[in-house]
Amino acid sequence: MIKMAHSFSATLQLTALGALLLFALTTVQPTDASAEPPETVCTQCHASLPDQLGTPVALWRKSIHAENGISCDSCHGGNPKDAANAMDRSRGFSGAPGEPEVPGFCGRCHPGVLKDYLASAHGKALGQGGPTCVTCHGNHQVLKASLELINEKSCSRCHSFERARAIKAAMQGTEGHILDIDRRISGFKASGVDTDRLGKALFAERNRFHTLFHDVNVERVKAESIRIDAALGKLDRDLKEIEETRTKRKVVGGIAVFSMLLIALLVHLLKKSYP
Amino acid sequence: MENDGRRKFLGVCLAGATTAAAVAAVYPVFRYLAPRSSRLGEGKLVFAAGDIPEGEAKFFEYAGSAAVLVRTRTGELAALSAVCTHLGCIVQWEKDKQDFLCPCHAGHYSPDGAVLSGPPPRPLAKIPVTVAEGKIIVG
Amino acid sequence: MLKRLYDWIDLRIGAREIVQKELTGYLLPRKINEWYSLGSVLLVIFALQVATGILLMIYYVPDAERAFKSITFIMNELPYGWLIRLCHAVGSNMMVAVLMLHMLSTLIMGSYKSPRELNWLTGFLLFTLVQGISLTGYLAPWSQLSFWATTVATNSASAIPAIGPYLVEFLRGGKLVGPPTLGRFFALHVALLPIAIAALIGAHLFLLKRTGISTPPFGDPETNKPWQPKSYSYQSHPGGIPFFPNYALQDLTSICIYFAIFLALVFFAPNLFFTPDAFVPADPFQTPAHIKPEWYFLANYQTLKIFPSELLGLFVQAAAMTFLALLPFIDRSPERHPLKRPLFLACAVGGILLWIGLTVWGHFS
Repeated sequence: MIKMAHSFSATLQLTALGALLLFALTTVQPTDASAEPPETVCTQCHASLPDQLGTPVALWRKSIHAENGISCDSCHGGNPKDAANAMDRSRGFSGAPGEPEVPGFCGRCHPGVLKDYLASAHGKALGQGGPTCVTCHGNHQVLKASLELINEKSCSRCHSFERARAIKAAMQGTEGHILDIDRRISGFKASGVDTDRLGKALFAERNRFHTLFHDVNVERVKAESIRIDAALGKLDRDLKEIEETRTKRKVVGGIAVFSMLLIALLVHLLKKSYP
Repeated sequence: MENDGRRKFLGVCLAGATTAAAVAAVYPVFRYLAPRSSRLGEGKLVFAAGDIPEGEAKFFEYAGSAAVLVRTRTGELAALSAVCTHLGCIVQWEKDKQDFLCPCHAGHYSPDGAVLSGPPPRPLAKIPVTVAEGKIIVG
Repeated sequence: MLKRLYDWIDLRIGAREIVQKELTGYLLPRKINEWYSLGSVLLVIFALQVATGILLMIYYVPDAERAFKSITFIMNELPYGWLIRLCHAVGSNMMVAVLMLHMLSTLIMGSYKSPRELNWLTGFLLFTLVQGISLTGYLAPWSQLSFWATTVATNSASAIPAIGPYLVEFLRGGKLVGPPTLGRFFALHVALLPIAIAALIGAHLFLLKRTGISTPPFGDPETNKPWQPKSYSYQSHPGGIPFFPNYALQDLTSICIYFAIFLALVFFAPNLFFTPDAFVPADPFQTPAHIKPEWYFLANYQTLKIFPSELLGLFVQAAAMTFLALLPFIDRSPERHPLKRPLFLACAVGGILLWIGLTVWGHFS
């Protein structure tokens, strides 16, 4: 009987342990957030049209613009809810831009990039065989900008790849650094650290870095990259400080847990010393 | 009895351990509740010169307590603590008399903080202020 | 010196008599096991929640515009603010977990049966109040997680016929979760519910002391003694072990082990109960994907998702809860040993597995 009782107690304890495990399993929850692009009359009609009238819709759906709720009317104008007058030029529709109009078209929302582009060798060659925004970024399947846009296949369409290769190399290190800091900041944010100031500082440096993308002067790119790396180094130090505080807390935590177990043992022994 | 000795030893160990644990628990709570030191001299404030016309005073917060910028009719600018040195009430600017009056016990101060009359024992504390390019920098 | 003080007090209120009656002379059954100490662990948890809660209230602002910022301030700027906040958050989850273990041991050992029906009822009420206080506290940080989890939770009431939608509005203080919701949830969380819980704990303890603590059904050949008294009598345990110092020390051991687990979670796994959405301020216009309630509500959440009619889902849950509440009146057999109650054991194990299954399903769905 007593044996049964002991094994039952053990079963209960196992159940409790199992419950605790379950408890741990069910509390790790991943989440993510994404916005849905609003439905427009443009996609409703064009999606079912053939060839070059219809393909932009499918391309756009895969773009970073679609991911962020930017629809046809954001670039081409017109009323996205009024099917009858959506393409009326007198009501704001601007149609597809010709080659020299492309930079201005994109520059309405990306004015900083437009400024950098126009100041660069690429911008100065606009209309004379030089590239426009869509040459490298595409027009409807615009993806999140990355260093991969600078590649041999794309650049050698017009000239040799050496200068571009040098620029890309200079920027690759910085890009990796920025991504690493971004990852660490997100990690801290997800555990309650107030990363506002750090996040904003990284944002500023990232923007400064991105303006380099459209500057095709190798020397300037190299110099700016070094400066940005220094600023990122400072962010690194800030993050390191946070990490150190965290580690310190963990050590204190370890001591606390150990002390509690020690006290539990002492109390238990004291209890046993009574009849 | 052997048990007694063991009990005493455990009791002592336990008392020590629990005291340590209690201190470790109380310390964070004390730090959490203790008022935080206002770090003086940190953080300058900037105002536009036009913010304070002649004969007027502007009240603002500086280093965690009340302060005032005052420009006399003769054009002199001063930054002072607005906390009365008597018992701590906040002084008011009397435009007609061009002085500070403490509403609690009627202490009077001149525009540069000196005690004119009443119970205040010391003048109003001065805060460093500089003027540059049409801007007033306090602190 | 201490003895002189004790004598002084004893002369005025008969302290010696009280100590003899409640502590050194209060006898517990010899076969008492560790599970009986979970009650005092719960008391300690509750006390800690009240203490950390009051400390948080000093700096927390229950206004929709400032709530999130005040908590960010507590977590980042205030010395040890992070510790107080994490203790409160982890503690609330531990309270529900330990409460479930306490319920489990009561069920297994049949301590809900006569003459302890009132104890079970007060305990059951405490269980629902603890769920309520957890739900209302969840909204306080006014994060994306708080806001939308509360929206989902309050939405479920809309399935009740006729009064459903109005009830939802009444709970929220408006059509959608908003500042009025924070106001009433905060008042419930810091005032009404703690007082109600404290009062019920008082009743629960009084009933326990008055009826007398139960004997564990293990190691006893006779566990099927029907309770047929002719008048009230206290269930004493002559020859048992004194509460003080013997079982008091067992209580202390359990409390220390609880603290070890609790502190381990606070220092090494605080994010167990926080998703990234818990650190993003509430945005009434953007619902994040995958919003789910806390682990202890996942089974309820999944149940509602299973039934095509939300009303049916609610009804099933209400029925289950009612069954649990009235268990002492449904299960009247005097047998207390779990292995001798096959029907009960089957239902209990089945019910627990079902709850676990629904919870895990709710987590992964």
